[in-house]
Amino acid sequence: MGLRARVTVTFGLGALALSASMAALTYLTARQFILHQRETSVLGQAYVNASLVRSTLPGTSADKIPQLLDSLDTEGSSHSVVQSDGRWYAAFASSFFTENQIPAELRTLVQTGTPAQQHYQLNGHPELVVGIPVKGENIYYFEAFSLDEQARTLQILALVLSGAALVTTLAGATIGRWASGRLLRPLGDVSQAAETIAGGQLDTRLTATDDADLAPLADSFNRMADALQERIRREARFSSDVSHELRSPLTTLSTSLGVLQAHATDLSPRGRQALDLLAAELRRFQRMVGDLLEMSRVDTGSTDLSLDEVEVGELARQMVTAGGARGIRLTVDPAVSDLRLWVDKRRIDRVLTNLVDNAGQYAGGATGLSVEAGDPPGSRVRLIVSDRGPGVAPEERQQIFERFYRGQAAGQRGATEGTGLGLALVAEHVRLHGGTVWVEDGPDGENRFVIDLPAHRDGETDMPTSTRRP
Amino acid sequence: MSGRILLVEDDEGIRVSLRLALEDEGYDVDEAGSGEQALERFAEQAADVVLIDIMLPGIDGFETCRQLRRVSAVPVVMVTARTDTHDVVAGLEAGADDYVTKPFVAKELSARIRALLRRVRSVDQPSVLTFGRVEVRPDEGTVRRDSAEVHCTRTEFRLLCELAANPGKVLSRELLLDRVWGYDYFGDGRLVDVHIRRLRTKIEPDPANPRHILTVRGMGYKLAV
Repeated sequence: MGLRARVTVTFGLGALALSASMAALTYLTARQFILHQRETSVLGQAYVNASLVRSTLPGTSADKIPQLLDSLDTEGSSHSVVQSDGRWYAAFASSFFTENQIPAELRTLVQTGTPAQQHYQLNGHPELVVGIPVKGENIYYFEAFSLDEQARTLQILALVLSGAALVTTLAGATIGRWASGRLLRPLGDVSQAAETIAGGQLDTRLTATDDADLAPLADSFNRMADALQERIRREARFSSDVSHELRSPLTTLSTSLGVLQAHATDLSPRGRQALDLLAAELRRFQRMVGDLLEMSRVDTGSTDLSLDEVEVGELARQMVTAGGARGIRLTVDPAVSDLRLWVDKRRIDRVLTNLVDNAGQYAGGATGLSVEAGDPPGSRVRLIVSDRGPGVAPEERQQIFERFYRGQAAGQRGATEGTGLGLALVAEHVRLHGGTVWVEDGPDGENRFVIDLPAHRDGETDMPTSTRRP
Repeated sequence: MSGRILLVEDDEGIRVSLRLALEDEGYDVDEAGSGEQALERFAEQAADVVLIDIMLPGIDGFETCRQLRRVSAVPVVMVTARTDTHDVVAGLEAGADDYVTKPFVAKELSARIRALLRRVRSVDQPSVLTFGRVEVRPDEGTVRRDSAEVHCTRTEFRLLCELAANPGKVLSRELLLDRVWGYDYFGDGRLVDVHIRRLRTKIEPDPANPRHILTVRGMGYKLAV
């Protein structure tokens, strides 16, 4: 059970125990008080009636005794019987009430000369029967009083008290839930902030609080986030700085090399050979620094998408005429040709350049660029670069998009030309566009590098903000 | 191809190697190691193209370009350290016509310099293009607004001519890049966007709410007469 549920149940049970015992105590006290009052008044009346019987009975003829007894019932809810000289008389009005309705033990007790009273049930109603032996005469007076009214009062009281206990219990549970919610809210904030940080938004912090109990938590959390961000920034900065520092010497190197190449005819064949080697390595070095810089920009998040809305068919045409897939055969599915994309063209250009380079290095060159429907067809579209194969082994299909991954193809011709970052950059750029990239087998054993991007019909959407880096 | 190029670069290695490469291509090259020195040099002898590195001791490349712009419409190429929007746009807004990013290849740079130098309009065009209260004379290279001359850089002028020659027609960024910058350069709409912004501040009555040079979202720009 969760903390919140536990607190709620504890509060509820506490409230229940407290309110139930309060209710029970109240009920018992009230019951005792009410019954005591009734007994006092009943006894008073019984004695008055008994003395009335004592004074009037001796002169009353036997057939008048029921009327006499009738007149004694002043509140309409008591029944009297009297035994005089061994004979029983009952009131007219309540002729069903005879000596037989009086508990035998009470009767016997009274007949031995002891006044007594007893609670009992008469036809399912609570009654208090009082028996009074009249001194000196052979007269025993019995009167049964109804306790219905008191029972009803107590019933209502019990109902009200249970209701109150129930309400109190619910209120307790509610307060428990609310209080635990309040207590746990800072924890929720913390977990949400941690989640956001994990999602890449490193500058997320908890808002400072005045609460002395919570401030240390927020403080230490924020300090941790600061340290984490600083560390990540330092690491990302390092590779960025290294690449930056390499730029100027690289520019000098490549420019000087260009001058040398322009004067290559002045060199001996051996010198020219060395120069060619130098040129090839320098090109690769330059590409690597460029890729590292691009990667560090993605990592530090200092990268901005500059998005344009274009038709996918038009984008592909630009790519094969002037962009990264220059000169490659283009096939466009006419059904999706007019779908629109929000893209940073320079990045898509980089993606295609890298895929085409990759095809050139490992798979005999790119053979085609095609535009196909994605899934669902109206809102995803695919740009696919095919090559001559051989296909990528299934277990490597994920890994080739990792940085500096050197797989089975590492020994192949051309593998040394790569920077090890090309496909990783492809994956990053595609991800920034809200897309995915993977490689699959074509029908003739070739590779199909599939770039799957979100698309829309004309006028359907505004510029997405979600494709910006979080 | 001949012409005079002023190289503003504090890294001696880059400066010397660039001078060698550009001289090989037939240019006369002047060198300056700082912005201040470059402005002095330029005052002594104007150049046909100026190449400015952003990172300079003293006044930086942006400021050098701005000060240069006050005295001349000479084509300027910025050398930026990063392709990030910030540096590129700041360079273009300081008045640069184009940019290259380090590390660059000398061939790439000379291609751009050639394109800048070649940009002399040769296609038949009417001698006067007018829209609103703006008057463009392609053959004279002048722009007048309310009869007062507006000073434009050559690139701005070329861009304006393209727009004014096709009133009401939407011109895509690619088309403008191709016609105005004139070399094979893929997809950097920022060059066009910043130049359009600069043009608007010069010829629009209210640059924030342009009436002549309109943006057609997702397509390009058009000139409304």
